[in-house]
Amino acid sequence: MTLVGRAALLLAFASALYAVGAALWSRRKGRRELLVSAERGVWAVFATTTTAVVVMWILLLSNRFDVADVAGYSNRTLGWRYKITALWGSQAGSLLLWMWFLSIAAVLVVITNRTRNRALMPVVVAVLMGIAVFFTSVLSFFTSPFETVSPVPADGRGLNPLLQNVYMESHPPLLYVGYVGLSIPFAFAIAALVTRRLDSTWITSIRRWTTLSWMFLTVGIILGSRWAYEELGWGGYWAWDPVENAALMPWLMATAFLHSVMVQERRGMLRIWNMVLVILTFTLALFGTFLTRSGILSSVHAFGESTLGPYFLALIIVVLAGSFALLISRLSLLRSENSLESYVSREAIFLYNNLLLVGLAFAVFWGTMFPVLSEAVQGQKITVGQGFFNQVAAPIGLALLFFTGVGPLIPWRKASPRELRRRFLWPLVVAVIAVIPAVYFAQDGAHWWAALAIVLAAFTVACIVGEYWRGATVRHQLGGVSWPGAVGQLFTRNRRRFGGYIVHLGVVSIIVAIACQGAFSSQGDLALRTGQTGEVAGYQFTNEGGTRTRDDHKMSVGVALGVSEGGNRFATLNPGVDVFTAQMQRSSEVAVDTSPFRDVYVVLVGLTPDGLARISVFINPMMMWIWVGGLVMVLGLIVAVWPSRRPREAAARAALGADGRVRE
Amino acid sequence: MAYVLIALVSVLVVALVAWPLLRGESGAQPAAQSDDLRAVEEELQSSLDAIREIEMDHRAGNLSDDDFAALDRDERARAVELMRRRDALTEAGDAVATGGAA
Repeated sequence: MTLVGRAALLLAFASALYAVGAALWSRRKGRRELLVSAERGVWAVFATTTTAVVVMWILLLSNRFDVADVAGYSNRTLGWRYKITALWGSQAGSLLLWMWFLSIAAVLVVITNRTRNRALMPVVVAVLMGIAVFFTSVLSFFTSPFETVSPVPADGRGLNPLLQNVYMESHPPLLYVGYVGLSIPFAFAIAALVTRRLDSTWITSIRRWTTLSWMFLTVGIILGSRWAYEELGWGGYWAWDPVENAALMPWLMATAFLHSVMVQERRGMLRIWNMVLVILTFTLALFGTFLTRSGILSSVHAFGESTLGPYFLALIIVVLAGSFALLISRLSLLRSENSLESYVSREAIFLYNNLLLVGLAFAVFWGTMFPVLSEAVQGQKITVGQGFFNQVAAPIGLALLFFTGVGPLIPWRKASPRELRRRFLWPLVVAVIAVIPAVYFAQDGAHWWAALAIVLAAFTVACIVGEYWRGATVRHQLGGVSWPGAVGQLFTRNRRRFGGYIVHLGVVSIIVAIACQGAFSSQGDLALRTGQTGEVAGYQFTNEGGTRTRDDHKMSVGVALGVSEGGNRFATLNPGVDVFTAQMQRSSEVAVDTSPFRDVYVVLVGLTPDGLARISVFINPMMMWIWVGGLVMVLGLIVAVWPSRRPREAAARAALGADGRVRE
Repeated sequence: MAYVLIALVSVLVVALVAWPLLRGESGAQPAAQSDDLRAVEEELQSSLDAIREIEMDHRAGNLSDDDFAALDRDERARAVELMRRRDALTEAGDAVATGGAA
C-alpha cells in the first residue's frame, strides 16, 4: 500500500512537471493541443494526489504502524474522526493536504477557464503546476508521508491531545484552503504580466477566488483563536505567536488587495500596487508554511525541527525575485489611467486603508522575525513580547475602524465640504452620544483606547446603517416596493457593496470585543476545599466536589463549581484536566459560562486527593462578540460573492438609453 | 497487486495527457481576440455598474448635483467608448468567421 502512495506522488510530480513544460511550450509554439494536454496534466496531478491522500487515510484507519506517520500520529484507541484528521497532524501529511487542495484548486481553474482567458491559461497552468512540482518533489524526495519504520511498533504514539478538538479538525484545512486559494490570484497576476494583458480581465477573473480565499483564511484564523481559547487554558485567544502571525500576515495583505482592487476597477489606479499586493500575499502564505516547518521559531503550533526550511526559503526567494523582476520589466504598461484628484475621496480612503494594513503586516513581520534577526546580528535571540504587537496593532486597528466608517460615505474622485458635513452629521451625533458610556467605562482615562474603540464603533455602525437606510429609501421610492423588499433589492442589485458592509459590521463587533477584553478583563486564582467558597471580580465560586475517572485512553480529574453573582447562582462549571496515557500529556478542559456581556472562564490547575481544588478564573468581557463578529463576516462574504444576475448585450445598450438615464 | 495497480494508473495518466496530442485536439479557442472582447465586456459591465452606483448615490443624497453631473458625464463617456470598442471587436470577429467559412 505504501508503494502505491509513493508511486502516486511520483506520478503527480511527473505530471506536474509535464504540465509546466507543455503549457509553456504551447505558448511558445502556439499549439493549442499542447495547452489541452497540459490541462489534462493538471487533472492527472489531481487524480494521483487524491490517490495518495486516500491511501494515507486507508493506512491511518487500518492501524498500519509500519508507516512512520501512522505510528507517530495515531494509535488503536484513537476514534475514526481523529484518524482522518491525523493526516494533517504530521509535517508530511500536512504538506500532502496542501498539495491535494492545490490540485483541486488547479482543476477548478481549468474547468472554469475552458472558454475564457485562453491567452492567460498557459502561464496560469505553468505557475500553478510549478508550485505543485515543488510540493510533490518535497513529498517524494525529502519528507514522504509513506516512510516506513522497523521494527514495527505494537501501537502508535497517538495524536497530540491538543489537536483532538473539533476546532483543530477544521482550522488547519481551512487555513490551507485559504493559502492555496491565494496562489490563484498570484498565477493570474504573473500570467497577466508575462502576456502583457494587463487590462481588467485578470482582475475580474480572480475577484471571487480572492474573496473566497480570504473568507477561508478568516474562518481558519477565528477557529484557531477559538481553539486556543478553549484548549490552551491561559484565558486568552491570541498570543501573537509566530504561527498565528504567519496566518495573519497574508490575511492583512489580502484584505488590502480586496480594497485596492476596487480602485483599479473603478478608476484604473493602483495597478502596480495591486500587483505588489498579490505577489506579497502569496509570498507571505508561503512564508507561513516556511515558519511552521523550518524550526527557526518555537511555537505551540509549529511542527518543530525539520530540514525543510531551506527548500521553502529557496522557493520564497525564487517567487519574490522572479515576480518583482517581471513586474519591473512591465512597469511602463502599468501606468495609472487616472491620478488622485483629492485626498478626501473614496480612492484616497482606500489608499490610507491599504497603507495601514500593509504597515501592520510589516510590523507583525518585524516582530515575528526579530528574534531571528537579533540572533543573526548580535548573536543573542531577543524575543518580542505581546506588548510590542499590542502597541502597534491598537492605534492601527482604531484608524482602520475609523476609515471603515468614513470610506463608504465619501464619493469617488472628490467630496465637497457641504456634502461631507451633511453625510457625517448623524454618525457624529451617534459618536458623541457614545462618548458618555465610553468615558464611564474607561475608568478615569485609564483605558482611553478602549473608550475610543467604542466611540469609533458607534460612529462606524451609524455610517453603515445610514448607507442601508439611504439605499433602501431610494429603492422604496423608485420601485414602489415594501421596505423589506427594498432592503432585499440592495443585496440583489449590489451584493458586493452591501455584503461588504455586513463584513464591516462583523469587523466592528470583533474590534470592540478585543478592546473590551483587553481593557476590562480580570483574573484571580483560588484554592478551595470541598464546600468552600471564594470570590473573583464579584463572582463567587463554591467547590462542590471533585471527580476522578480513567479509561483506556485517558485519566481525568474534574471539579464541580457552583458560580454565583450577588447571591444568585447562575451556573455550574466543571473544569478538568485530562492526562492522555499514550503520550502522558496533560490537557486542560476549561469550563466557560458565556453571556452577551462576559465569559466566566475557569481552568483547573490542580486537584489534590483530599479535595483541594486550585483554579484560575478569568472574567472576559464581550468575548462572545468575537465569535459572533466572525460569523457575521462570513455571512457578509457569502452575500458578497454570491453570483448575481447581470444585464447582458441588449440590456447594456438599453441601460445607456436615449433619455440619458441608467435603468434599474 | 500493487505493481499492477501502479502500472494501470501510470498508463491511464499517460493516456490522459497524450490523447489531445495524438488526436491533434484543438480544444477551446485560445484566440486573443475573444479574450480582448471579453476584457472590453468586463470593463463595460464595470462601467455600467459604476453609472448605476453613481445614480443611486445621487438619489440617496450622497452626491451633490454638481459632483453627480461631472462623475456621470465622464462615466457615460467611458461606457459609450467601451461599447464602440466592443462593437468593433465583434464585427472583426464576425468578419474572420465569415472569411473562414468562405
